[in-house]
Amino acid sequence: MTDLAPLLRLENVTKRFGGLVAVDEVSVEIHHGELFAIVGPNGAGKTTLFNIISGVFIPDEGHVYFEGEDITRLPVYKKAPLGIGRTFQIPRPFGGATVRENIAIGAMFGTLSGKVSVDEAMEIADRYVDLVGLQEHRDKPAGGLTPVDKRLTEIARALAMKPKLLLMDEAMAGMNPRDIDEMVAFLKRIKEEEGVAIIAMVEHIMRAVVGLAERVMVMHQGAKLVDTTTKEALSHPEVIDVYLGKAPE
Amino acid sequence: MSARPGKYLALIPVLAAYLGMFVFGRVQPDMWQLVAMLAFYCCLGQAFNLFLGMTGYVDFGYVAFVGVGTYGMALTLSRLSGVEGIGFGALVIGLLAAAGMSAMLSIAVGAVALRLRGAYFAIATIGVNEGFRYFIEGARIWNGSEGIIFSKDLRAIFGRETAIALSTFWADVFVIVIGASAAVVTLIYMRSKIGFALTALREDEDAAKVIGIFVTKYKIIAFITSAVFAGLLGATAWALKLTYVYPPDAFEIHYTVEAIIIVMLGGAGTLLGPVVGGLLYGLSKYWLAIILPGFQLLIFAPIILVIIVAFPEGTVGYLKKKVRGTALERYIV
Repeated sequence: MTDLAPLLRLENVTKRFGGLVAVDEVSVEIHHGELFAIVGPNGAGKTTLFNIISGVFIPDEGHVYFEGEDITRLPVYKKAPLGIGRTFQIPRPFGGATVRENIAIGAMFGTLSGKVSVDEAMEIADRYVDLVGLQEHRDKPAGGLTPVDKRLTEIARALAMKPKLLLMDEAMAGMNPRDIDEMVAFLKRIKEEEGVAIIAMVEHIMRAVVGLAERVMVMHQGAKLVDTTTKEALSHPEVIDVYLGKAPE
Repeated sequence: MSARPGKYLALIPVLAAYLGMFVFGRVQPDMWQLVAMLAFYCCLGQAFNLFLGMTGYVDFGYVAFVGVGTYGMALTLSRLSGVEGIGFGALVIGLLAAAGMSAMLSIAVGAVALRLRGAYFAIATIGVNEGFRYFIEGARIWNGSEGIIFSKDLRAIFGRETAIALSTFWADVFVIVIGASAAVVTLIYMRSKIGFALTALREDEDAAKVIGIFVTKYKIIAFITSAVFAGLLGATAWALKLTYVYPPDAFEIHYTVEAIIIVMLGGAGTLLGPVVGGLLYGLSKYWLAIILPGFQLLIFAPIILVIIVAFPEGTVGYLKKKVRGTALERYIV
């Protein structure tokens, strides 16, 4: 049963803030090991949707299912161990802790059994330090790293939780094209090696979307505009209208 | 092989400091009162650091736990003084009562106040401290505003000689032991999952939740532990030493402020910080009171401001940075 169910299923999810409908009846399915992108201009409701999936917000209507189980109202800290990891738009590693400790904290608390000891977590952390290539910064406080290295620390911390789904909030904002290409290649590699599905949220770096995602959902004013393969989505007339505005008639 | 060799070596300097205080007081008996004051400040900082330092939450009502612990010992001794042959049993029961009452108060306060963050938490805790004091006075529980004077009870239980020794010597020794125990517990927490969870929540509470940390649980663990040590401090440094308790003294917010200064001065969240902060604060207060009697606080305030601006991570926080990567790293935590 669990195998047949999609990894994540949103069913008519709606979230209002006062009169503003931030997310408007969004339904979507994400499968195991898929690379999925949520695209949309500023204010489209992407971050709100992320916060609903990771549990920061509880939707006003609709349901969130993870591996067939209804997790709509589960508190944030209980969602992570099920296998939902996330990174933030502005990387938020624990600045006072070292890179290694940051990753170890993910391993200690982010797994379902919760039985990872401090020493085991440190060993797991070393493996992910190698995976993201931060060996030379291993014992430095994460607060002093460059933004890209902070991002890598955060990704490693999320991966140490052994997630089945990794939510990446604007993972490539502010990066130059070379860094973007490297990050895309890196994400594809961890998808293969760790078997994790990734939902990347992207505002307007289409280079990243095209390189990374197999499937794309385009959001506009809280609602789902299209949900299809990347190639189709980006040539869809409505999507072009959303990004560039309608041509004068 | 353990992944982290020598993870408890950091106890050496901190325990040496407590032992040093004791030895100095024994060698220089006329300095014992100074040692007692220093031990009180170190212990207060060590206990408070378990909460303030490890969670980053500022509890402005912290002294309430010291006050309640004082009442725990005072009530025990005054109620049990009639029991034949209770002797040192009364002391044990008093300490247990102090620890238990502070723990209960911390659970009650924590259940409500720990839902708040930042300034809101700080303000709520001031309210708890003041509220609790006026509750004791207004509801006339525990002898209300008259307080409890139990020097007679202490003599009745232990006899005159022992009672004097308890107040003038053993109370201070207990304070040193409690401070050292708080340091040991601090390091055990730091080296366990609790410490990592607290680091995460101190740095970024929302990010901590997202990686699966049940932050409320760890905040409450730190809060209760810190409160229990505060209660034991009250039971010894105040109850046993002064043999009376009086609400305005036991809930004097001034001590909370001193505790915050000690922790910040030494380095919040460090193991050695509270001892360094306690010694720096106690010694300079003592010294300024001698050379500039009456003006010590006026001089002290700007000095503290300068230190806190210049070393935001505290003395030990600064030292820790300096020794990173050297052999001393394991000792200064």
